[in-house]
Amino acid sequence: MSDVLVRAEDLVRVYGTGPGAVRAVWEATFSIEPGERIALVGPSGSGKSTLLLLIAGLETPTSGTLAWPAFGESGDLRPGPITIAFQGPSLLPPLNVGENVALPLLLEGRTQTEAAAAARAALDLFELGDVAEKLPEEISGGQAQCAGLARAIVGEPRLVLADEPTGQLDHETAGRAIHALLEAADVSGAAVVVATHDPAVAETMDARWRIEAGELRAEVSRCSA
Amino acid sequence: MLGLSWIAGLLRRRPGRLVGLALAVAMAVLLTASLGAFFAASRARMTTDAVASVPVDWQVRLTPGTDVSKAMTTVASAKGVLRTLPVGYADATGFRSGTAATGVQTTGPGVVLGLPAGYANAFPGEIRRLVGARDGVLLAQQTAANLGATVGSTVSIGRPGQSRTSVMVDGVVDLPAADSLFQSIGAAPGSAPTAPPDNVTLLPASMFAQLFPADARGVSTQLHVELAHTLSADPGAAFVDVTGRARNLEAALSGAGLVGDNLAARLDAARSDAVYAQLLFLFLGLPGVIVAALLAAVVAGAGRERRRREQALLRVRGASGRVLVRLASAEALAVGVVGALLGIGGAALVGRLAFGAARFGGTTGQAVTWLAISAIVGIGLAMLTVVGPAISDARALTVSAARAEIGRGQHPLWARLYLDVVLLGAGALVYWQAVRSGYQVVLAPEGVPTISISTFTLLAPALLWSGAALLAWRLGSLLLERGRGLLERAARPVAGGLSGVVSASMSRQRRLLSRATVLMALTASFALAVAVFNTTYAAQAKADAQLTNGADVSATTTTLNGLPAGTAGRVAALPGVASVAAMQHRFAYVGNDLQDLYGIDPATIGATTPMSNAFFGNGDAAGTLATLQSHRDGVLVSEETVHDFQLHEGDTVRLRLQSATDGKYHEVPFVFAGVAREFPTAPHDSFIVANAGYVARQTGTGSVQTLLVRTNASPPVVAGRIRTLLRPTSGATVQDIQTQQRVTLSSLIAVDLHGLTRLELAFALAMAAACSGLVLAIGIGERRRSYAIASALGARTRQLSSFVWTEAAFVTLVGVVFGALTGWGIAQVLVRILTGVFDPPPTSLSVPWGYLTTVLAAIAGAVAIGGSSALRSVRRPLPQVLRDL
Repeated sequence: MSDVLVRAEDLVRVYGTGPGAVRAVWEATFSIEPGERIALVGPSGSGKSTLLLLIAGLETPTSGTLAWPAFGESGDLRPGPITIAFQGPSLLPPLNVGENVALPLLLEGRTQTEAAAAARAALDLFELGDVAEKLPEEISGGQAQCAGLARAIVGEPRLVLADEPTGQLDHETAGRAIHALLEAADVSGAAVVVATHDPAVAETMDARWRIEAGELRAEVSRCSA
Repeated sequence: MLGLSWIAGLLRRRPGRLVGLALAVAMAVLLTASLGAFFAASRARMTTDAVASVPVDWQVRLTPGTDVSKAMTTVASAKGVLRTLPVGYADATGFRSGTAATGVQTTGPGVVLGLPAGYANAFPGEIRRLVGARDGVLLAQQTAANLGATVGSTVSIGRPGQSRTSVMVDGVVDLPAADSLFQSIGAAPGSAPTAPPDNVTLLPASMFAQLFPADARGVSTQLHVELAHTLSADPGAAFVDVTGRARNLEAALSGAGLVGDNLAARLDAARSDAVYAQLLFLFLGLPGVIVAALLAAVVAGAGRERRRREQALLRVRGASGRVLVRLASAEALAVGVVGALLGIGGAALVGRLAFGAARFGGTTGQAVTWLAISAIVGIGLAMLTVVGPAISDARALTVSAARAEIGRGQHPLWARLYLDVVLLGAGALVYWQAVRSGYQVVLAPEGVPTISISTFTLLAPALLWSGAALLAWRLGSLLLERGRGLLERAARPVAGGLSGVVSASMSRQRRLLSRATVLMALTASFALAVAVFNTTYAAQAKADAQLTNGADVSATTTTLNGLPAGTAGRVAALPGVASVAAMQHRFAYVGNDLQDLYGIDPATIGATTPMSNAFFGNGDAAGTLATLQSHRDGVLVSEETVHDFQLHEGDTVRLRLQSATDGKYHEVPFVFAGVAREFPTAPHDSFIVANAGYVARQTGTGSVQTLLVRTNASPPVVAGRIRTLLRPTSGATVQDIQTQQRVTLSSLIAVDLHGLTRLELAFALAMAAACSGLVLAIGIGERRRSYAIASALGARTRQLSSFVWTEAAFVTLVGVVFGALTGWGIAQVLVRILTGVFDPPPTSLSVPWGYLTTVLAAIAGAVAIGGSSALRSVRRPLPQVLRDL
């Protein structure tokens, strides 16, 4: 298989039809390779989240080509190769934090013991070991967001997508969380794409992609738009 | 204005939420309207039936010496009187028939009636012609049997204080309403009823006046009165009205007469039946309405989170709490009105399908009243389920409380107070108290206008049902909380490696799952209780009719000569006849007591008519009949006879039977072989059963008076064929069980409950299916976001399914098992409490296995459909859900 994780050509996602149609992503062409660190920046409503969902295979393009040469078909992306951390609270309410983080591994078919151990390690990385037994509604929004990041890296994925992962964190905690995320990605050699408004977070990335009104352009590093 | 815009917006954006709730409200409205209108119509029908079956509405006994024509004028001017005819009553010292050559037959004391011309046409229910003329000198059939007299015979009448006189018999008649015809008018309330005379002769009024002068000893006059039957539809109100009119007439007669109020007596019985009908509505209908209301609450609850978010947005834009409540009220009103209209339309449709009329056979007023009540129920229900939570949220909701979807909070107050155990204990105590004291839930003392209901006893099923619902909640919750290991093992075949997560998820969502389990249990218990009660009711009604009629079809004659020879064989050859049993019906003296005697073949009678164990004193039908068969001179007598004559098994019992040879009664020895409590066609009091062969030998005739017929076709059709075969001249009466059921049973049973049963069973089935499918779908829908996240994390369809189906299996299994246990218990309690509607009371409950299997299949099907459709909707993570994350 090719080393390229994601390849897109003239990728378009339009919502609605006619004059009221919204161009969320417009003719985006790009590729993502192993180990890349990409910050996706742009104003609110510019199409960042839609682009991440497209890359994750959770959204269907209106036109254009989107492929995952390293992984195969879109059905093979999860659980395993590609994970995503969401902007808002995305932990499953009836599972405790530890179970939430272990869930992707259980979905992959790992044993409960293996999954629990890996989840504990991931939570420790984000300094959340002491809330493992708590329910999502019993922890703060920031802790929940960090738990979402822990869940994204627990299965040693090849590509981690994170949508505003530090939106509910203070500056210092955000720095630690991003550091932990990148450290985990380094261990597994995973590429990381982070959609963010935070310049400090964007600064930690190797490349910065700017998206405005659905149109993507690279500010640094490899990108063609 | 704001309310209208809000509704318009909801219609555009949230049509599913409105439609779902409107449908749930419609179900509650449909059931309320259907049952209410049906029971209102039933009460009216009870009045109509009661009134129609009274042969003479009033019998006014005139005080001796009263001017009859003046009294007739007074009676005729009373309100509602249509017709008044004078009837003479005279005591007779006895009747005699025959000659020295043929043998003289005599009877004990009797009564002679003097009937005016046209009496039989005016009051057709009093006299049924059997043989000979309709007018002239008529003998009652038992008197004719006692005297061996028939048309053309001369009968000598013994007159007290006068010489005997003779008349020639023109015909033989049956007096179907002898009890009321010869009632003791003016007897003190509560005194024992007077038995009608064994011997009666009817004379034309002119002949009666000649033979029994008005001033002679033992002669009196009654005025028989027909009233206009324009009465209130409510039997209780009609009873009070008729009783009042009778009292008024007595006052107008100023002591010249007393009123025997047959119409009020019949209404008296109907009014307690009407109360039973109300109780049936309460016990069988109300739980269904409650289940429908709970379902509506669940549907409304499914949209509560969204409503909370909408409320929050409106608050941010400056809406006050009052505005929020107003908007919720507008939504509730719209849903309530639409639901009520749908429900009422459905009720009309159900009425047409189940009862043959959109207004359930009742009056327009009744139908409209119930439709209005059910519409109020629907709108009230919508208000309660939408506005109630809105007010509570507007007042008390905090951000943290709104976030708490799961909650580790303490158990609810009722659980900490063990309210479920308290309710069950109290229900059991009330039930035990009621059963112990052998009470009647409805007490309608004869002749007293007020009717009392043991409301205290009614608490038993209500307490037990609520206690069981809360207990289901507690047990379901406990199983989910403490039984995670068990759940994990149980879920492993479906969930595999995810079983731990699935059981953890279920355990923490115990509030949601317990709610669904309770609703499932309530629905299942409602379906089971209604089905078991209705089946038991139907079985008992059939048993009663079977006992009264004798078999599917019976042909009876009252003459000693019996049915024409060979009739049994010819009837057996008719199409639709499965088997025939011939039975002798004679009269025999036990001491001075004249009793009915039935001569049977104990070996074969069971093949034609069911021989229940309950018929016999030792509770063993087969054993008793075998004993009778083994003693050719054996006899079964009633418990009363055993008690009166201190009989022991093997004792010789000497009865006097009429011989066909000389027409006289001769002593015949029998051996006491057992006790018979009930027997097909036999009266409820004393009777005798013996071997037909022995009776034939001892009386010199094997004539058969009754044929019992088991059919394998429609009983009324077969009865028609037998009537054609026997012809009217035979004097035989042919009855079928279906007609009998309508005619002779209590007015409550006479009301056609088939439509009601169909409605209730169909509703229970629909509710079971709706609850199981809808609750599951709603439960999953409420957690759609969770499933979307799981799917985004990579959960396969199979893995999502394991969450869905494990929950579905838990809710269905625990709900159905608990519901079955509760339903069975409630059915037991209902049958015991409403024992007054059963005649005879059931010894055990009847289980409608076919229906229950259908309910289970419907639940399984609904769960499969609800689960699959919910699963389809969450299988693919919805981008709009994910973008919100």
